Amino acid sequence: MMSTQFPWLTTIILLPLAASLFIPVIPDKQGKTVRWYALSVGLADLVLMVYAFWKHYDFQNPGFQLAESYAWMPQIAINWSLAIDGISMPLVVLTGLVTTLSILAGWKVTEKPRLFYFLMLVMYSAQIGVFCAQDMIQFFLMWEIELVPVYILIAIWGGPKRLYAATKFILYTAISSIFILVAALAMAFSGDHVTFNMTELGLKEYSLTFELLAYAGLLIAFGVKLPIFPFHTWLPDAHGEASAPVSMILAGVLLKMGGYALIRMNMEMLPNAHVFFAPVLAILGIVNIVYGALASFAQRNLKRRMAYSSISHMGFVILGLASFTEIGTSGAVLQMVSHGLIAAALFFLAGVTYDRTHTLDLDELGGLAKKMPMVFALFTVGSMASLALPGMSGFVGELAVFLGFTTSDAYNPTFKAVVVLLSAVGLIVTPIYLLSMLREVFYGQEGKAVAGEFLLDAKPRESFIAACLLVPIIAIGLYPKLITQTYDVKTVQIAAHVRNSIPLVAGKSPDDLAHFSVAPNLSISSPSRLLGIVK
Amino acid sequence: MEPIYQYAWLIPVLPLAGAMIVGLGLVSFNKDTNRLRQANSILIVSLLGAAMTFSFALFWSQLQGHEPYTRLFEWASAGDFHLSMGYVVDPLASLMLVIVTTVAFLVMIYTDGYMAHDPGYVRFYAYLSLFSSSMLGLVISPNLVQVYIFWELVGMCSYLLIGFWFNRKAAADACQKAFVTNRVGDFGLLLGILGLYWATRSFDFEVVATRLQDLVASGAIPGALAALFAILVFLGPVAKSAQFPLHVWLPDAMEGPTPISALIHAATMVAAGVFLIARMFPMFEAIPSAMTVISWTGAFTAFLGASIAITQNDIKKGLAYSTMSQLGYMVMAMGVGAYSAGLFHLMTHAFFKAMLFLGSGSVIHGMESAVGHDAAYAQDMRMMGGLRKYMPLTAFTFLVGTLAISGIPPFAGFWSKDEILGATFAANPVLWIIGYLTAGITAFYMFRMYFMTFEGKFRGNDTAVKQTIRNEQLQSMGLAFGPGAMDPRELTIEPTHEEESAYGEDHSSHDPHESPLSMTLPLLILAVPSTLIGLVGTPFHNYFEAFIHAPGETVQLAAEAGQETLSEFYVMAGSSVGISLIGISIAILMYLQQKIDPSAIAAKIPFFYRLSKNKWYIDEIYDELFVKGSRRLARQVLEVDSKVVDGVVNLAGLATLLTGEGLKYLENGRAQFYALIIFVAVLGLVIFSGVT
Repeated sequence: MMSTQFPWLTTIILLPLAASLFIPVIPDKQGKTVRWYALSVGLADLVLMVYAFWKHYDFQNPGFQLAESYAWMPQIAINWSLAIDGISMPLVVLTGLVTTLSILAGWKVTEKPRLFYFLMLVMYSAQIGVFCAQDMIQFFLMWEIELVPVYILIAIWGGPKRLYAATKFILYTAISSIFILVAALAMAFSGDHVTFNMTELGLKEYSLTFELLAYAGLLIAFGVKLPIFPFHTWLPDAHGEASAPVSMILAGVLLKMGGYALIRMNMEMLPNAHVFFAPVLAILGIVNIVYGALASFAQRNLKRRMAYSSISHMGFVILGLASFTEIGTSGAVLQMVSHGLIAAALFFLAGVTYDRTHTLDLDELGGLAKKMPMVFALFTVGSMASLALPGMSGFVGELAVFLGFTTSDAYNPTFKAVVVLLSAVGLIVTPIYLLSMLREVFYGQEGKAVAGEFLLDAKPRESFIAACLLVPIIAIGLYPKLITQTYDVKTVQIAAHVRNSIPLVAGKSPDDLAHFSVAPNLSISSPSRLLGIVK
Repeated sequence: MEPIYQYAWLIPVLPLAGAMIVGLGLVSFNKDTNRLRQANSILIVSLLGAAMTFSFALFWSQLQGHEPYTRLFEWASAGDFHLSMGYVVDPLASLMLVIVTTVAFLVMIYTDGYMAHDPGYVRFYAYLSLFSSSMLGLVISPNLVQVYIFWELVGMCSYLLIGFWFNRKAAADACQKAFVTNRVGDFGLLLGILGLYWATRSFDFEVVATRLQDLVASGAIPGALAALFAILVFLGPVAKSAQFPLHVWLPDAMEGPTPISALIHAATMVAAGVFLIARMFPMFEAIPSAMTVISWTGAFTAFLGASIAITQNDIKKGLAYSTMSQLGYMVMAMGVGAYSAGLFHLMTHAFFKAMLFLGSGSVIHGMESAVGHDAAYAQDMRMMGGLRKYMPLTAFTFLVGTLAISGIPPFAGFWSKDEILGATFAANPVLWIIGYLTAGITAFYMFRMYFMTFEGKFRGNDTAVKQTIRNEQLQSMGLAFGPGAMDPRELTIEPTHEEESAYGEDHSSHDPHESPLSMTLPLLILAVPSTLIGLVGTPFHNYFEAFIHAPGETVQLAAEAGQETLSEFYVMAGSSVGISLIGISIAILMYLQQKIDPSAIAAKIPFFYRLSKNKWYIDEIYDELFVKGSRRLARQVLEVDSKVVDGVVNLAGLATLLTGEGLKYLENGRAQFYALIIFVAVLGLVIFSGVT
């Protein structure tokens, strides 16, 4: 069979990386050939992955597919092994789409274009590598490789405070990723044999203490990326300072690496610890949703407002993962894909606006609707998607998470009611900050920065980019099965996997460990009740 | 089953297609699409016309007694969870389809005249069509999730349409206020839906009701919890149907163009709340405490709206408060269990209120040629007067609407309002007194409106009135002047106040004129049902109730019930006509014959006057509590975020690293430092797990 012989995933990962090596030698005087080159590489890779998944990926199979494995560093048992399943497949396609579009969004980069496109392509490879890696060390390397281009992209092409933002980003993520390595090594060396293969690691038996420690470490690492309160403060700086194409990737793809890894490692490999940590996740999810939304409302900078809105929306992902239900888990994945599209669209449109007005200060903007009707229309659609208007993907994701948590049988009703009630507060605050953003930018009288100036409306290239993101948003919103059926079997499996651990863990009722996972505000009598576990 | 039922999905899809075609045209070929003004509107109006014809066919079929029809398809699924969407055609849905398509169709024809010179003409039609589609989708929803979906979509359309003139600050504020206030209601609705799903594992209206009843009866869930869910669901209608305390958005929504006020904010969307209560009626009915909450909310809102409408000078604001008050009647009717009476009033109100609003639009359109395109002047009734001479058709239809809403037989409003009052009296005399008094106030303020607008002398050229209005406006902008005092600042303010006119020309010197046929024709057509439609629901033979009645309820016609009920009807009807006549008489004395000076009364009861004039200060209270409160909270959160959270995490050396000195140190030995940390940590972890 072709599918077993041809290394699709390796090709998809290595194509942009290999192509990026030619960028320094491409003859290009005006900096225009390079961008066409980068765009065609991005597009080729996107086409390649869509073709490969269309032809060789079975949507009804919950297991790993298109798997390949080569001995890489056999001395220390590290393999180059790749595979995708329902969780990673949609995210890989999302990466391809968003990155390709962000290359197109960076069409007008005039400063060091070669380096810019080179880094974009390297990042492209590393991101897909993260989603496909089946070996912990390989995963870690990909995770680290991806940081470097982001750092440089923010530090060179960013806003006024770019160096501060870039340094903060790299320190946060680099330090947190130590935890990945620590956990990976510890898991690899524990038990009877040494392995870095994720599937094998998931099958190993760990002591509960060990699981909890490893889980906590990984949670910190991925919590920084996702981001989870209180590790989120790098994000407003990085997203606020990065240029539009980089913000698109940051918000569209990078945050999803955190959510993906949380599912892949914390839930799949350490399900017992997940049972303990789930209530904590739920509470962190609420904090993310409400806290992010309120902080966003107070922001006076357009991009920082969107950055905080990302924090708020990623809270739903955490909440979905904590639900122990099929629909909640499915909602979490859907919310990741949906937020990837929506955030990329909004950051792109913010970039388009900035390109004209040269300010992101909401106090100086205003009344742009008349001058830029097209941008206004697209911005409105994007904001509506972001505030979870039905008919668009954000609504389906959030509804699924809500339904998942409501129907979850892992928590007692009081805890569920409190969680659902508090997170639904986000429903009210989200339109407040998004609509006042629209109002302050587009409605009313012209603001200081734009009064009397001629502002060009969206160009066809820009409308095209926005349309490429908005069309899937609406398509998913109208008929969610378009996307959910591609991963449904997998999320069902994961939900069952973590649910199976509930009786195991509850049966053990480790009093000495209860304090690890119990959220302080859950004062219910017995230890298993303390977790909010009914059964 | 008849084939028309299989294609009923076309009803919302046709206007949607119209909106998509025109919308895509606007997006891709903006200039050309805008140039083809009427081609676009004709397309959209004819698509809606087709939907209307279809709706009438379905309605007719339902009238013949055909079985309700439901069709579903699977929309979303995850594991064992399946969620279906689809449509249901039953008497209630078919009635709503007819009301919505008829009013929307007439409003669309009217729009051609009203928006003729507006640069956003085509965009307006696209929005109108999108709204019609969402509203039609809502009324044929077979389950709660689909209701929620379209519920939010109509809210979005309302947002777009209120903010249609996006350069006006008032419109920009109003559209956001409308959306956010409605979201508060949706928040309750969603929680209610989730709660009901948790309890009953279903989104289906009937299944939810029966299972909830069983659960409460068997003690599986406490009755209080069921009541809580019901009240949460009711929060949705509270916001959408502008019931206290979430009514604040509706009067501000009048910033949108008048056809919108007629279609969305009077006839259809705001009635969606009543529709949802009707859909969920089997559930509400079984929970007496929820019914009490509903009826009292409705009664209070009816009174609140009427009490504010008395003193409003803006013709559209006055009508808006009257809408709120009438919606209160409908909700109250639902709350006392008068299912068909509430829906009957929904139907009659949709026709006469749409006509009144369109009439007010026609007045404003006529006034603009006399006083210029400033909403503050063109909509203020103190500037009007004597317009009957200039616009006889508008005046005639407005009078019909006024009689209808005042409850004068045989106009439509009489029959429906009387049915509500009768049912309320039977249920709770206190509620009846509130409704009864409100009926009198309604007659008074509606005739005040009619007399101020159409009778007497034209005051459009009265500079003193103009000055008063200007002063009031400046005051509301936050510049407090003494009454009549000239402040030097006023002169500097004045030029900035001149509203940017979309038309660029000022016709101040002209007389008001009658509106074109495209505007008066819909008025005349609407006058027919406003006069006659009530006759389908007379107590002598209530065809309406025979068609629309609560699920599982057997209808007993009053005529069959015997002479006793009919004599009761005569007493009730006589008394409610009586109080209306009192209200009308006072209005005649005050505003037609000017025998009583309104300002003298106002001076005698300054507290009540100011309370009414300032809308019970509810906006001010909300502004202080919620608007400023939420801003303050948000600022504090951000403060905590940047000072505490960022600070603490940055601490532990990071702060110093970022500032420079430490960074150098780390960079030199970075790799070793890294490796050391990892090594120690792994060692620690392995040892620790080995020991335990």
